[in-house]
Amino acid sequence: MAAERTRKRKRNQEEAIAKIKKGKAVKKGNNKKKKGSDDDSDFDDVMDMYKKTKPLPGQLENCEVCSKRFTVTPYSKAGPDGGLLCAKCGKEMAKEAKSTVKSSKPAVRKGRRKIESNRLDGLTFRGAKTLQQLCINTLATHADDIEEFGDMPEPILNKLSEIFSKKRAMKSNTFKLFLQPDLDVVAIHEAAYLETEDYDQIFAIVPHVKKLSLRNCCQFKDSNVDYMIEKAKNLADIQLLGANLVSNDKWMDLFIARGHDLRSLKLEWLDAAFDDQAVEALTTFCTNLERLKLERCKQIGPDSIDAIARLEKLQHLTLCYQKDIPRDRVVNLIAHVGSGLRTLCLERFVDAENENGPTDELLDVIRNTCTHLEKLRFSENNECSDAGYVNLFTEWSNPPLRYIDVNSTRDLDNSNPNGPEDPVGLSSAGFHALMQHSGTKLEYLDISSCRHISHETFAHIFSPEQTWPCLREINLSFCPVVDTQVVAGIFRSCPQIKKVVAFGCFEVHEVVVPRDIVLIGAPRAQDAIEQFGQVVMDFQKEFSGVENPAGMNRVVPVMS
Amino acid sequence: MSAQSQPLSAYVTLVSNDGYEFKILRDAACIAGTIKKALDPASGFREVAENRMELPTINGVVLEKVCEYLYYNQKNMESKDVPDLEIPPELCLELLIAADYLDV
Repeated sequence: MAAERTRKRKRNQEEAIAKIKKGKAVKKGNNKKKKGSDDDSDFDDVMDMYKKTKPLPGQLENCEVCSKRFTVTPYSKAGPDGGLLCAKCGKEMAKEAKSTVKSSKPAVRKGRRKIESNRLDGLTFRGAKTLQQLCINTLATHADDIEEFGDMPEPILNKLSEIFSKKRAMKSNTFKLFLQPDLDVVAIHEAAYLETEDYDQIFAIVPHVKKLSLRNCCQFKDSNVDYMIEKAKNLADIQLLGANLVSNDKWMDLFIARGHDLRSLKLEWLDAAFDDQAVEALTTFCTNLERLKLERCKQIGPDSIDAIARLEKLQHLTLCYQKDIPRDRVVNLIAHVGSGLRTLCLERFVDAENENGPTDELLDVIRNTCTHLEKLRFSENNECSDAGYVNLFTEWSNPPLRYIDVNSTRDLDNSNPNGPEDPVGLSSAGFHALMQHSGTKLEYLDISSCRHISHETFAHIFSPEQTWPCLREINLSFCPVVDTQVVAGIFRSCPQIKKVVAFGCFEVHEVVVPRDIVLIGAPRAQDAIEQFGQVVMDFQKEFSGVENPAGMNRVVPVMS
Repeated sequence: MSAQSQPLSAYVTLVSNDGYEFKILRDAACIAGTIKKALDPASGFREVAENRMELPTINGVVLEKVCEYLYYNQKNMESKDVPDLEIPPELCLELLIAADYLDV
C-alpha cells in the first residue's frame, strides 16, 4: 500500500513539475511585459545577464543563505546574490522586505477633510473620545447587524438616532430598533429612506408616543396622518420637516382631531400644501399651542400671520416666510402674542413695498410688548436702524437675554454696496446697548454681517476690563473691522467662550488660540480653515482642572 | 472618620457582578464620573473606606474593557489625534449601557 502510494505520488509530482515548467515560461514572458514600467526592471534585466542560470522548478539546489539542499518550486525566492533560497529563508526574506516597505511609507494621516469636519463639529482632537462616543460610533458602523438595543436610556437612544441619521444608516430595518412600546419620544432626524409603511409602524408599535420628530419624511402621506390620528392618542408635540405628500385637507383633519392636545408644532419646508386655510384651522383648533415653528412653508402668506395672532398661549414662536409680509401685520401679531413669549425668532421679514419707508416699528413693538424673552432672533432685516436697536435695548423691561441673533441686519442694495449714510441694521451704538442690556447673561451672540459696528466699539466691549461671564459662542463673520486684537480680546474677556466664528474677517492674522477654544473661519489666520487652541494662556490657568477633567469629547456647545 | 485621615491608596478595586476584581490606578478609575463620585473622600460612602466599588450591573468581560478604556484615556489625556480604541461589536451595546452608567 505504502509503496504504491509513494509511486503514485512520484508520478503526480513529475506531472506537476512538467506543468510548472511550462507555466513558468509563459508567466515569465507575461511578467516581463507587464513590469515594463517598473523602475527596477531595466536594472534587473541587465543584472540577469551576469547571474548564474537559475535551476528550473523540480530540480534540487543549495540554498544561498543556509546552504541546505532543497527542491526548487515556482515560488522559490531569489536571494541577494541572485541564487535561490529555500522556503524558510525565502519567507524570512519576504518578511524583511515587507517591513522595510512599510517603514519607508510616511505615517498615514487621517484625511484632512475628516479632521476639518471634526473641528467644525466641535470635536477636539486632544485626548481620547468618551467611551460612549466610541461605542456609538462602532454601533453605527455595524448598524445592520444589531437585533435590538435592549433597555437603552432615552438620551443615548437619541444620540444613536443622530449618528444613524448622519451616517445615512436609518433605513427600514435599522429604524425599527428605535421603536419600543414604552417610549415617549420617537425622533428620526433623517427619515428620507423610510417608506410609507414604515411610518405606520411607529404608531402601531409606539402608540403612547408623546413627541414625534421626523425630518426629511418625504414619504409621510395622508394615510399616515389618518393612522396617526387613530392610534397615537397622546401626541402633544409634532415636528415634521419636508412632509410634502400630506394634503391641505389632511393637515386640517389633523388639527381638528388632535389640535386640542397639541402643545408644540414645528413644520418646515412644505412646498405643495399647507396654505393659509390650514393655518386658520391650526389656530382655531390648536388653542393650547405653546410652541409654534413655521419655516419655509411656501404657500402661507399674510393671512396666516393674522391667524397666528389669535394663539393666546404661545411661548415660543419661530417664523420664516417665503412670501413678503406687510410690516403692520407682523407688528399686529407681536402686539397680540408678544407678552407671553419666551422665544421670538423672526427671520427674513423683508417688507419691500412699504410706502412709509423704513421704520423701526417692529423693534418698538417688541420693546413694548415682550417682557419675558430669553431668546431673540431678528435676522436678515433690512430696514430697522441703529437707533431702533439702541431704543430696544435701552431700559427694556425684559430681563437680560440668553440668546441673541441679529445677523445680516443691513441694507440690501447692490447698486449702493456701502449702504446709506445712516447705517441700516445693528451698528456701534446698538451693539453697545445690546451688551449693556444682556451681556451679563448672554450665552450666544450672532452679529455676523452687522458690518457697521466700528473697531472702537469692538475694542471697547472686549477690552480687558470687561467680562462677559456667560458668553460661550460668538459669530462675528463678515464684520470687516474685526482684527487680531478684537479676537484676542474676546478670548480674554469671555471666560466661558468655546467657539468664535470669524468667516470673512480678513484682518485676523496670526492669532494665538487658547486651549479648548475653537476659532472657525479667519481666512488669514494661518492656512487652516479653523484652529483649535493648544496653548494654555496664563489667564486660563486659574480655571484649569475645573472643567472637563475627564478628557474631551465635545467642547463646542450646540446652542438652541 | 479614620478613612478621611488616611492617605488615599494609589489603587482601587472594581468588582464585577460575576465576582471578577480589577485593581486599577485611582487616577484612571476617577476618569469615570460615577466612580469618581463614589470614591470621593468627601462623600463618606463605604466605597471610600474600602477603596472598593461593586458594580452589580456590569459583568467581568465588559468591566475589563472599561478598565482598558480608562487606562487608554489616561494615557492619551494630553495627546493629539488619538487613535480610537477598538471595540468588539458584540460587546458594544452592553459597553454603551455601562459607559452611560459610569459616565465616561
